[in-house]
Order: sequence, then structure tokens, then C-alpha cells
Amino acid sequence: MRDIKIQVNDLSLYYGEKKALKEISMQIPANKVTALIGPSGCGKSTFLRCINRMNDLIPSVKITGELLVEGIDIYDKNVDVVNIRKKIGMVFQKSNPFPKSIYENIAYGPRINGIKDKTQLDEIVETSLRQAAIWDELKDRLGDSALGLSGGQQQRLCIARTLAVSPDIILMDEPASALDPISTSKIEELVHELKEQYTIIIVTHNMQQAARTSDHTAFFYMGELIEMGKTNTIFTKPEKKQTEDYITGRFG
Amino acid sequence: MTHFEIELEKLNNVIVKIGSLAESQVSESVKALLSEPIEGKEVKKIENKIDKLDVKIDEICQSIFALQQPVASDLRFIMGALQISNEIERIGDLAVSIIKRAKNIKDKHDLVSKFEIADLGRQVELITAKTNSYFLTRDEHTFAEIFSLNAAIKNKSEEAIQGIISEMKSHSKTVLSGTNLVIVIKHLERISDHCSNIAEHVYFIVYAKIIKHENPNTES
Repeated sequence: MRDIKIQVNDLSLYYGEKKALKEISMQIPANKVTALIGPSGCGKSTFLRCINRMNDLIPSVKITGELLVEGIDIYDKNVDVVNIRKKIGMVFQKSNPFPKSIYENIAYGPRINGIKDKTQLDEIVETSLRQAAIWDELKDRLGDSALGLSGGQQQRLCIARTLAVSPDIILMDEPASALDPISTSKIEELVHELKEQYTIIIVTHNMQQAARTSDHTAFFYMGELIEMGKTNTIFTKPEKKQTEDYITGRFG
Repeated sequence: MTHFEIELEKLNNVIVKIGSLAESQVSESVKALLSEPIEGKEVKKIENKIDKLDVKIDEICQSIFALQQPVASDLRFIMGALQISNEIERIGDLAVSIIKRAKNIKDKHDLVSKFEIADLGRQVELITAKTNSYFLTRDEHTFAEIFSLNAAIKNKSEEAIQGIISEMKSHSKTVLSGTNLVIVIKHLERISDHCSNIAEHVYFIVYAKIIKHENPNTES
């Protein structure tokens, strides 16, 4: 794989005594969509949260191994976590807009990053909403509360909010699982478009969604990375029987 | 356009391309039969192109099935595309076979003119062109034309074959050429059958109705 954005070497994660991730090694290519699939409790979300050090917030967690983003080990003790999280945006399963106006939701991040100029903020708001394919729907109601939007709109607003701080990497944890099919397809199409500029890693329970949206797919099972490859290969001729059993629904 | 629609468009374009290659291959085969032998190299080149596109269509369809889970008209289009490319690949092979066999028909011009093979050849060229056009336009009138052409081709082929058999019975020296010509005529007839099969697949794509065993004029 060329242009590796994230290199993972023997990464293990423990919740107290329980080993939730077992010596994961993988390479995540830049400007591609990588899907993480696997049954509940397989470690895919835990792994995703390792990428922006979200698991640091859990007291009993211990992590070994390396996770390099553009060659820098983000678990090195000299690394500034805030800087990492600036570069790595995250979108969650449940949309979580701030209880503020649409405009303020987007402008919040750039503003705390020091941008005060109104014209510049206006530009960022417009560009971010356009990139999230929601500008046309919202341009005339930027002052309205974000909480009044539909679920699908709120989720795209959250994606726009993530884009506003110019991350390199976007992590998505089940971004469409609470949405109806139309909103889901809008999010999926958006993911497809965003990969030109961002490296996207998406966790999904929905295998069809992984197939439709991703370039590479990684299959996790019981804390192990069983197989990773091009999505086309994983869904047409996976190497491992466990992968085949999972994607064909013959698991266990 | 969503990226899935772009994939479908790509598949559509490959089918149009393979269809037009087969059409020119059929024209070459009719030319080989009616006038002069055709250069084998060029024929081989087109045959290779058709085979490659046939494989490409299989790959695109496999990928769409696996990754996009097509439904409704999209599902029918992919199913139809797989079958259509199969038929087209067979048309290409039959055309090549005609070109090769035409070289071995002595007294070709006499036999061709005596049994009005030129008309038959032109009708087969026409049905191939109409089939490509039906794929593009989905025009009902063209659909009907394909089936009446196929029926006419069958009748004409049968007549010609009966005539050639009588000729061979009375003039034994024509047996070798006559047999080759009968095989060529059967190939032309088969090309016409593949065209009407393609029309049935397109009909399925458009109307979601399987009609492949409903038409008495089709063999398969």
C-alpha cells in the first residue's frame, strides 16, 4: 500500500485484566475509506478510539505497541493529545450537535482555535456545510437551533463541524446506524466524496455499508484482526474462512 | 450522480462497446462470405477485445453484486448485463467461425448467389444493429422488428439449407462446399437467435418480465 497514513504495530489494549485488542498490526492508507467490521465486542470501536486516544479517558485502560500517524507515535509521552485530536476528527453514532445555532456549531471549533475574523468564520461555515452536502438545505436558517434539525441533518452537521477544524483523518463510529435509508445513503455518498481530502476510518455493524463505502476492510474478531484487504477482495474472495463465515452470515 | 450510478453507467458503456465490436465482427463475417477473404489478424484482434470486455463485464457485475447489493431495476440491469455479455461473446465467436469457414467454400460466389445468401447475410447484419439499438433506446418498435427479423432469418436459412442439400444430392462435387455453407448458414441463424435473446434480456431489464421461453421463434 502506498501513502500510509496510519501504521499500527502490535497494538494491544487491556481493560484491566481483559485483553480487548490483541497485537493488532495494520496499515491504513491515506485518502481512502477503511471500514472496520466484526461482531459486537470484537474490538473494532475500541480500536477506532485508540486512533485519537479516546481510550485515555478510561482509567483501567493499558495500551502497548505503537500507533503511528504520519510516522509519529501518538502514544509517545511527549505527544500533545490536543494536537492529535485537532488532526483527527470524530463522528459518533448518535448525532450530538451543541445546543446552539447551526452557525455556532460549525464556528465553535475554528473560534477556539483562534479564528476571530467574521468573514473568515463565515467562509469556514459555508465551506464545511458545502463539503458535508448540507449547505443548500441550511443556508437560509443558519441562525436556527441545530437541535431542530432532523437526525440525518444533525449527523451531516456534525460531520461539517468536524471538517471545520481541518482534520486529516476522520473517524466515524456507526455514523448512519440511527438514520433512515435516505439519510444513510446521503452519509455514505458524503463519505465517498470526502475521501479525496481526508483519510476516513469507519466502524460499522452494517456489512453492506462497509462494502458500499470503503476501499479497504478490516475484519475483527475477539480482539484480533483476522483479515484486512481491499473491500472488493474481502467481499468476493476473502482469504480466511472466519471472514467468509462472517460476511456470509454463517458465523458460529 | 452517486458513485453507484457512475458504476452502472460504466457497465452500460462497456456493454455498448462490446455490442458495437460484435456488430462490426458480424459485418466482417458477412463480407468474408459475400466477397473476399478477411485478414485473420484483424479478426483475432477484435475477438480478443470482445473476450476481454466480456471478462470485464463479469468482474464489474461481481463487484456490484458484492459491494452494492443492487435491487429492483438496478438488480435487473446487472442480471441482464451478465447474460447480454454472454450472448455477445458467442456472437463474436460465431462471426470468427464464419470468417474461417468462408475460406473453405469453393464456388462460393455461385452458391451464395444461387441460394440468396447475400440477403440472409444482410438481414443478420441488420438484426445485430437493431439489437444494439434496442439496448440503447429500449424502443418497443425495434423490439418487435428484432423478432420478425429473427423469424424471417429462420425461414430463409431453412429454405437455403434445403436447397443446398438438394444441390449436394444431385451434384456430389458440391458436398464439401455445400456442407461448409450449411454450417455457415446455421451460424448466421444462431447469431440471429443470440440477438433475439439479447432483446429478451433487455425486455427483462425494462419490464421485469421474463419472456425467454415464450417466443416460439427462439431456440434458447
